[in-house]
Amino acid sequence: MNIAKPKVLIVDDEQDFLETIVKRLLKRQVDATGVDSGREAVRILQEQSFDVVILDVRMPGMDGIETLMEIKKRSPLTEVIMLTGHGSIQLGVKGMQLGAFDYVIKPAEFDELLEKVNQAAERKMLHEERVRKS
Amino acid sequence: MLNMLPTDSYRVYILVVPLSILLLAVPLWIYSGPGPGFAALVVAAFCFFVISSLVRKVVKAREQECLLDLQLIQSQKLAAVGELSAGIAHEINNPLAIIAQEVEWARHQLQAEKPDGKSLAELKDSLDEITRQVDRCREVTHGILDFARKRDPLVQSTEINKLVEDMAKLVEREVSHEGICVIRQYEKDLPPALTDPPLLRQIVLNLLNNAAYAVGQNGTISVETRMPDNGKIEIEISDTGCGIPKEDLNRIFDPFFTTKPPGKGTGLGLSLCHSIVIRLGGTIAVQSEQGKGSAFTVRLPLEYNSHKSR
Repeated sequence: MNIAKPKVLIVDDEQDFLETIVKRLLKRQVDATGVDSGREAVRILQEQSFDVVILDVRMPGMDGIETLMEIKKRSPLTEVIMLTGHGSIQLGVKGMQLGAFDYVIKPAEFDELLEKVNQAAERKMLHEERVRKS
Repeated sequence: MLNMLPTDSYRVYILVVPLSILLLAVPLWIYSGPGPGFAALVVAAFCFFVISSLVRKVVKAREQECLLDLQLIQSQKLAAVGELSAGIAHEINNPLAIIAQEVEWARHQLQAEKPDGKSLAELKDSLDEITRQVDRCREVTHGILDFARKRDPLVQSTEINKLVEDMAKLVEREVSHEGICVIRQYEKDLPPALTDPPLLRQIVLNLLNNAAYAVGQNGTISVETRMPDNGKIEIEISDTGCGIPKEDLNRIFDPFFTTKPPGKGTGLGLSLCHSIVIRLGGTIAVQSEQGKGSAFTVRLPLEYNSHKSR
């Protein structure tokens, strides 16, 4: 089961990484948008809805965990994949507890990330289906 | 709850049993004529009273038994609630005390005629400490919320080995600096499982986190997946760490039970794991020897069935 074209928001303060990943995702039939801060992510989420957010844990200003909390508060069905540059178990445990879908170490293999995006999008769809039924 | 005693059905016997005796006695009377029939009727009447009083007694006894059972369950529940609230109170009270103290100290700094650099620095310190303590409280309440949130699992096809490996990698990055080595032993050709991936990740990560904490430095964490029989999978996470004392073993899944120093752990990790595993229709078991290490085994159905596990 695959969503035709999942809508994905990528949040990372590293411009180079952001541009490349958006380009690559667009090429693979993913409707990708990139923003470079947590605050910007929360703002854009108010305007439009996304299926999946790929979120860098370490960012200046609003960090990944704070952004995750804010996203889950405003749109609980949006699935969030956390990206981390370093293994921080504590942050991982916290993130998963706050409802993140997955925790991926940077640099993640692109295909792997894509698969996770699809899985997360599927989950969101299942979730919406359930909400509609009840 | 109490008026819905399961013995209600027994009340029927008070009527049914004696009535059926009467029903048997009447044809007998008609068949054997008025003489011996009358004697039979007397015997039947006697039996009626004896049996009905016996049945009444049995029913009463059953009722009492059920009532006692309910009371026992109720009191156990109350005890659990009591323990839980004591845990919450304790976990929240400590940071509250620190916050109160910091506020007082900050006030004291402000009362100085002219706040200088030193007192401003002190103020900043106080605010930082308050923030830390608020975070600590938040962690506790988040844990409780998670606990209370009876979110039904959302089932997706999941590669168990891959999911476990992802989490193992995450942990390995951090613990390799401490001289901890992560050993994998994955069952090959494990079929994809139908389960809730983020919930399962939460369990695995929590167990790995505990294992890393138990080892501390220089040791091994082993991660194993197995398929003991069809329809079940097992994930075992073991360590060569400090182990769990025998007297603690049956309390480790209790909420707020922790051996970590105050502020270092909320004591909710394992109880969360336990409640998630149950929600996924599985079981979690522990084996441990003090000084040698612990092994946690999570057993899950290959196919989560929402009807069976509820």
